[in-house]
Amino acid sequence: MEKERHQTYWRSLNELAQNKEYKKFAEREFPENASELKDGVSRRNFLQIMGASVALAGLASCRKPIQKILPYTYQPEHVVPGVPLYYASAMPFRGSLTGIVVETHEGRPTKIEGNDLHPESNGRTNSLQQAAILDLYDQDRSRNIRQNGSDADWDDFVDFCNNHFADTGRSIAFISEANSSPTLERLRNEALNRFVNARWVTYETYNDESVYSGIELAFGQRLRPLYHFDKARVTLSLNDDFMQESVNNVAYIGDFAKSKDIVSPDGEPSRLYVAESNYSLTGSNADHRLRIRTTEIPQLVYALAARLSDRVSGLESWSGYTNAFSDHRWISVLVEELVSHGGEAIVTAGSEHDAPVHATVAAINQALGNIGETVDYLDVPGMPGSDQNEMFRQLASDMAAGNVDTVIMIGTNPVYTAPADLDFSNALAQVSTSIHLSTHYDETSRESTWHVNRAHFLETWGDGHSYSGTQSVIQPMIQPLFDGKNELEFLHAIVSGEKVSGHSLVRQTWQERYPDRFESIWNEVLHDGLVKESHYTSVETSFASDFSAAVLDFLNISADHGPDDIELVLKPDPKLHDGRFANNGWLQELPDPMTKITWDNVALISPNTAERIGVPSSRRFGEFKQPVIRITTEAGQQSEIVAWVLPGHADNSITVYTGYGRQQVGRVADQVGVNTYNLRSSDHRLVRPSVEVETAGRTYEVASTQDHHSLEGRPHVQEADLVDYREHPTFAQDAVYVPGTFGGEREHPISLFSDKQFPDHEPQWGMTIDLNSCIGCGVCTIACQAENNIPVIGKREVRRGREMHWIRTDRYFSGDENGNPKVMHQPVPCMHCDNAPCEQVCPVVATTTSVDGLNQMTYNRCIGTRYCANNCPYKVRRFNYFNYTKEYLTTGDDPEIIQMAMNPDVTVRFRGVMEKCTYCVQRISRAKIDTKNNTGNSIKPPDGTVKTACQQACPANAIAFGDISDENSKVSAEKRKDRNYVMLEELNIRPRTSYLAKIRNPNLEV
Amino acid sequence: MSQNTAIVPNNQLVKGNHDFASITKLISDIPQERTPLWWYIAFGISNIVMAVMLAMIAWLIWEGVGVWGLNNPVGWAWDITNFVWWVGIGHAGTLISAILFLFRQGWRTAINRFAESMTIFAVMCAGLFPAIHVGRIWAIYWIFPLPNSMQLWPNFNSPLLWDVFAVFTYLIVSTLFWYVGLIPDLATMRDKVKGTISRLLYGTFALGWTGGNRQWQNYEKSYMILAGLSTPLVLSVHTIVSFDFAVSIIPGWHTTIFPPYFVAGAVFSGFAMVLSLMIITRKLYKLEDIMTVDHIEKMNIIILVTGTIVGFAYAIEFFIAWYGGVEYEKFAFVNRAFGPYAWAYWIMITCNVVSPQFFWVKKFRRNVALTFILSIVINIGMWFERFVIVVTSLAQDFLPSSWGYFSPTYVDVLTYIGTFGLFFTFFLLFLRFLPMVAISEVKGVLPQANPAYYRSNNGKSKTTE
Repeated sequence: MEKERHQTYWRSLNELAQNKEYKKFAEREFPENASELKDGVSRRNFLQIMGASVALAGLASCRKPIQKILPYTYQPEHVVPGVPLYYASAMPFRGSLTGIVVETHEGRPTKIEGNDLHPESNGRTNSLQQAAILDLYDQDRSRNIRQNGSDADWDDFVDFCNNHFADTGRSIAFISEANSSPTLERLRNEALNRFVNARWVTYETYNDESVYSGIELAFGQRLRPLYHFDKARVTLSLNDDFMQESVNNVAYIGDFAKSKDIVSPDGEPSRLYVAESNYSLTGSNADHRLRIRTTEIPQLVYALAARLSDRVSGLESWSGYTNAFSDHRWISVLVEELVSHGGEAIVTAGSEHDAPVHATVAAINQALGNIGETVDYLDVPGMPGSDQNEMFRQLASDMAAGNVDTVIMIGTNPVYTAPADLDFSNALAQVSTSIHLSTHYDETSRESTWHVNRAHFLETWGDGHSYSGTQSVIQPMIQPLFDGKNELEFLHAIVSGEKVSGHSLVRQTWQERYPDRFESIWNEVLHDGLVKESHYTSVETSFASDFSAAVLDFLNISADHGPDDIELVLKPDPKLHDGRFANNGWLQELPDPMTKITWDNVALISPNTAERIGVPSSRRFGEFKQPVIRITTEAGQQSEIVAWVLPGHADNSITVYTGYGRQQVGRVADQVGVNTYNLRSSDHRLVRPSVEVETAGRTYEVASTQDHHSLEGRPHVQEADLVDYREHPTFAQDAVYVPGTFGGEREHPISLFSDKQFPDHEPQWGMTIDLNSCIGCGVCTIACQAENNIPVIGKREVRRGREMHWIRTDRYFSGDENGNPKVMHQPVPCMHCDNAPCEQVCPVVATTTSVDGLNQMTYNRCIGTRYCANNCPYKVRRFNYFNYTKEYLTTGDDPEIIQMAMNPDVTVRFRGVMEKCTYCVQRISRAKIDTKNNTGNSIKPPDGTVKTACQQACPANAIAFGDISDENSKVSAEKRKDRNYVMLEELNIRPRTSYLAKIRNPNLEV
Repeated sequence: MSQNTAIVPNNQLVKGNHDFASITKLISDIPQERTPLWWYIAFGISNIVMAVMLAMIAWLIWEGVGVWGLNNPVGWAWDITNFVWWVGIGHAGTLISAILFLFRQGWRTAINRFAESMTIFAVMCAGLFPAIHVGRIWAIYWIFPLPNSMQLWPNFNSPLLWDVFAVFTYLIVSTLFWYVGLIPDLATMRDKVKGTISRLLYGTFALGWTGGNRQWQNYEKSYMILAGLSTPLVLSVHTIVSFDFAVSIIPGWHTTIFPPYFVAGAVFSGFAMVLSLMIITRKLYKLEDIMTVDHIEKMNIIILVTGTIVGFAYAIEFFIAWYGGVEYEKFAFVNRAFGPYAWAYWIMITCNVVSPQFFWVKKFRRNVALTFILSIVINIGMWFERFVIVVTSLAQDFLPSSWGYFSPTYVDVLTYIGTFGLFFTFFLLFLRFLPMVAISEVKGVLPQANPAYYRSNNGKSKTTE
C-alpha cells in the first residue's frame, strides 16, 4: 500500500522494453524489488508487466525448451483438425475433486465444462473451475526448480533428496494443502513410516476444521456434513455462504435452485433464512435475512437450541438457557418453522465459527430428525484426527524454536497466509532445509531452500475424491508446459529418491484398490471421469456421552465482545479465494457478485457503521475515489484498506476479503488490493471481536462495474412474494403497459406493419433466464469469457467503464439502504431483438439479423461508430476502445502460451470494432453441421443439443436456450410460463431473450 | 401628407461618405497591404494549436478511440458534441447568403462573404469529428455507396449515413455558393494587384470575368439558383444532424421537436460566431463603415429570436416529457436539470436562455462590447447544449445498472481546442488573401447604385452634411 503511490507509467511496451531499468529488472530474474513496477492493475501496466514478466522469463531462463515440429504422417486416431475432443478429468480444490470435461483442440485444452455424470457437478461448474484454464496458460508460473534462488533441475533435486533424506531420523514436517488423493495418502503413509520423526500438517487458510471439531463434540467423531438442499423445505444458514464459499457449491446451488423451482402458482418453493454479518451471495437469495454480527451468532444459535429444547427431544442440555437473543422475534418464528419441517429442514453455520456453534447446529439437525434426510454426516477416510489449525500453530512454534530440521510444503503458501502472530516467515528461517512445491515462485518459495515448480492439474496425473466421496482420476490434457511436477511425483521423490511419473504412481494406487479387472475399470474411470456409485459412507449419528457436559462448558463462556465493539471478519475472496487464484486475469476482472468491484478488495461496512467511522454513508454517482480506513487489531497489527458501504451489512461489523496485495508473484496479481492476512491471528483465525477503526485521510480508486444500485422503480427485474404471485400469476408481464395488449389476450405490441413473427426458417433461436433460479454468482460471465476469447483489460479500463464481458450480472438493491434491503440479480446478455435498434442505425450494415433470429455482428464490416451501442437499450454491446486483444495475446516473449487458451472457433476482435453476445453462434454452427451430417438434410439440431456457454456453466440451471419456433422445446415451455416477461417490452424491439420473474417465499408471520 | 406622419428614412447600410471607388479601395487594399504583425502572431498561434490537434488525432488513430474518455454507456461525447456545434456554427453562412438574399435583405452584403467563409471552415472542423471518431478510420470509406465486388452497400436506414450525405452536400453547395460570389471580386483583385503571381492566381480563379453585361446576367441567375438550392439545405442539414438523435430510441434523444429546435439553435450559434469574428475584424481592418452597428443590431435581433425559440424548445421538451407520460423520458429530463450533469444543464440555460434577454433593450443591442461578450457566451452555451443532449441521455438511459459518468481526457480537450487552430488558420488565410467583403454586392446597396440616384441628386454625389 505504502509503496504504490509513486507510480511509474510507460507509454508503450516498446518504451518499456528499451528502458534500461526495466532490462535490469528483467535480467534479475525474480528481482528483490519488483515494486519498481507499480500499480500492477491498470490496463497498461497489466500489459507492461505481462510483457515484462514474459521477457523476464525469456531473459532469465537460459534453457530454451526443446521444440520439435512433426507433421501427422499418419493421422492419430480421433484427431480431426478443427474438431474438438472432450476428456473427463477432475479439478482438485481444498481437498475435494469436482468432475469436469475438458474441451481440447489439437491437443490443447481450451475450455472446462462440468461432467454430467459426476454427482457434484451434474454438468455444471463454478467460476473457479471455468477460470482454471487460464491458470494453465499463466505465463508467470514458475518455470524451473530453484535451490537458494538459483536454477536447478529435477535431477539435482532428486539427488538432493537421496542425500538429504538418507538420514531418516531427521525432524521433518510436511505442510500440505488439503488433498483428497488416495495416492497422496499412500505416499504420506510411506513418508511417515520411513521418517520416524516426521509429522504431517494439513494447512488450508479456509478450512472446515471447526465444523469437524464441533461435530466431534456432538457425535464423538470427526465427520463431514453433506447437505441436500433439494430435499429441504426450510433452510437456516447462520453466516454460511454455502453458495459461494463451500467447496461443494456447484451441487449446493443446483440443489437449492431445484428446491426453489416454481412451475406454476401451485408450486411450493422452499424457504431460506439467513442470519449473517456480511451481505453474502447466499443472503441475497434468502427469503428472510437477519443482519447480525458474526460474534453474536453463537448466542443466536444457543438461544434457538434452548427454545427448540421445549419442542423436540435431544436438546435438553440447552433447556433453560437464556440470553439476549432468547426473545428475538426470529427465534419463535424459526422454532415454528423448524419443528413443523422436522426431517425436511437444514441448519448450517459458517466455518469461521468455533466448534460449539457447529456442535449446536449438529445437535439441532439431529434433534429435528434431519440427519439421513436433508443432512448426511460422512465418514471421510484419511481425514486428520485432530484440529489442523492447532497442529499448524504448534508446528510454527516448534519451527521457531529450532526444533524442526526440514520442512516440506506442498502447494501451500504459509508465509503469505499464516496468522500474523505465528510469524511464519521467521519460523521458516529457523529451519535449516525447507522445500516448497508451488505453481508460482511466491512469498514462501522465496524464503525456502528449494523451490519445485508445480504442474497444473490439467498437466499431470492425479486422483481424489469429491466432497461426497466420488472417486475420480485426474487426466493430463497436455504435457507440462513448464516441466512442472505434481505433488505425487514430488513427494515420491522425497520418500524414495526415485523419479517416477505421476501416471505410474496413480495406477499403482488404483491397482491396489481394484486388483480385479484393473485395466477395464481404469479405462472406464478415465472415460467417465469417475467411479460410479462410489461414495463416502454416511454415519448413523448419536450424541457423544460427554456432550451435555461440553454444552454446559461452552454455554458458560461469556461473550468476549461489547455491544458497541466493531468486529472484523476475514472472508475468502469470492474470486481469488485465499489468493491462490490471484494471478488469474479472468477472476480479477470478474465483478464481485455483491459489490461489483473488480481488481481490489475492500472493507465492507454498513451505512451506519460508515457514519460511525466517519466516512460517507453513500457514494456519489460517478465518484471512483473512496475513503481509506485504517484497521488496528488488539495486537497492534494495522491494515489500510478502502472502505466500501454495502447496504444490508450488519452494523458494527467489517468484512474484509483476503487474497490480495501479493508481491512478486505475477503480472496480474502483484500490487492488486491489500494484503489483509496480517489482521489474522491464531486465536482469532477469521473473526476478531473488536478492532479499532479510523479514517486514514486519503482516498483510493475502486473499479466497480455498476455505479447505480437502485432500479429507480423501473420494472426491469420482476419479483413477487408467493402469495402475490398466486393472486396475480402474470404480474411480471403486466408490469409494463404495452399499447395493443389491453383487453383480450396478450399479443405482440401493435405494429404499423403486418410483419411476421418469424421468417420462414427453422430453427429460431431464443433464450430464457429464470431469475428465480439465478443466484447471481457470475459464473456465466467467466464461462462466456473462456468460450468467446474475451480479453482482460485491467483495472484502469474497467474503472473507465469499458469492461468487455458479454454477459454481466446486474445487481440491484431495493428497500431501506440503512436497514435490510433486498437484492436482485439479473444476468444480461445481448437480447437478440427481432426489431433490433442497433441494426437500424449502423451505417455500414455490420450488424444484422440472421434467418434463425440471431442478431449478428460482422466484425470485418464494423467501422466502430458506436452508434449501435448508444442505441442499445440494454447496453450490452462492448467496444474495443484499444487493441485489447493484441495486447492480451501478443505481448511478451512467449505469447504462444496465452494464445493456446483461445477458442479456435471464435474470432478474436481487433481494436475499433463492436462486439457482443452471439448466442454462442460457433456452438450453433457446430450443432447444425453435426445434424446435417447425421440426418443428411436437416439443419435443425434436436432440442438441447445446442448449449450456450453461460447456460452450460450455470449451476442453478437458470438459462434455457433453444428453438422457439418449436412448441416442444424446453425454451418454448419456459416462455409459456406465466412468470415469463420481456424486459423493456414497450419499446417493441422484440428481444429473443426473456426473463422469468423471481418468486420469494417469505413467512407471513415475520 | 398630414403633419403627424413623417417618412422614416432607411438607415444607410454603408456609413461614411463612400462611393464605388472608395469601397473597392477599402476592401481590395487589404490583401495588398503589408501583412500586419498581429496577423503573423495570430497565424502562428493558430498553427501551433492546429499542430496540437493533428498530434492528438495522430495519437487517437495510433492508439484507438480509448484515448478519449468514452465508456460503455457513453459511446459518443465530445466528438459528436463538437461535430454538432461546429455544424451549427456553419449555419449562419448559408442563412445569410441564401435566405436573406431571397428575402432581399440588403444588409446581408456586408457580412455574407465573411459568414460564408466561416461556414466552410466550420463545416470542415465539424466533418473532422465523425471521420476520426470511428474505431477503424482506415475503413471509413465504407460509409460511401461505392460500387464493390461484394455488392455491399451502406445502410440507407441509418441516420449516420444521411448525415454524411447532408453534411457533404452542404459543404459542396456552400463552397460553390461562396466561390460563385467571389468571382467578380476576384476579378477586381486581379485588376488591382501588382505581383505577377498573385495576378495569375486571382486571374485564374476569376475565370475570365470582365464584368460584361451578359456575364452579370448569367451571374445573377446562377447566384439566384444557388441561393434557391441552398435555402432548403439550411433547414435540412441540421434537421438531419438532429435525426442522429431523434431517430434513436434513447430517452432524451428520441424527440420529435429536434429538427426545428436544432435549426434554431444552429442559427443562434452561427450568428453569435459571426458576431464574435466580425466585431474583431471590423476593428482590426477598420471596416466599421461597412459592418456597422446597425448590422450588429439586426443580427442581435435574430439572436434574440432564435434564442427564444431555443428556450421555448427547452420548455417544450420538459412539457412533453411530462405530458407524454413515458417514465424514462421524464427521468431523462429531470435528471438533466437535477442529476449529475446539472452543472452542464444550468450553464446551458444561463448562456442560451438568460443571456440573450439583454437584447430586448436597444441600447444593449447596439453595444458592441456587450454583443461581443454575449456572442462568446452564447457559443459556450450552445456547446453545452449539445453536450447535455449527447452525454446526459447516454449516461443514464433505461437500465440503471449500466449508468455511467463521462469525464473527458486531455485528448478530448486538446482535440476540441485544436479545431480552433484549424478554423483560424483557414480564416486568417481568408482574411489575408481574399476580399473579406463582397465588394460588388456592397456596391449594389450603395445609394449610388440606385438608377435614380444621379437623377435625384442632379448628377452629383450625395453628401451627408
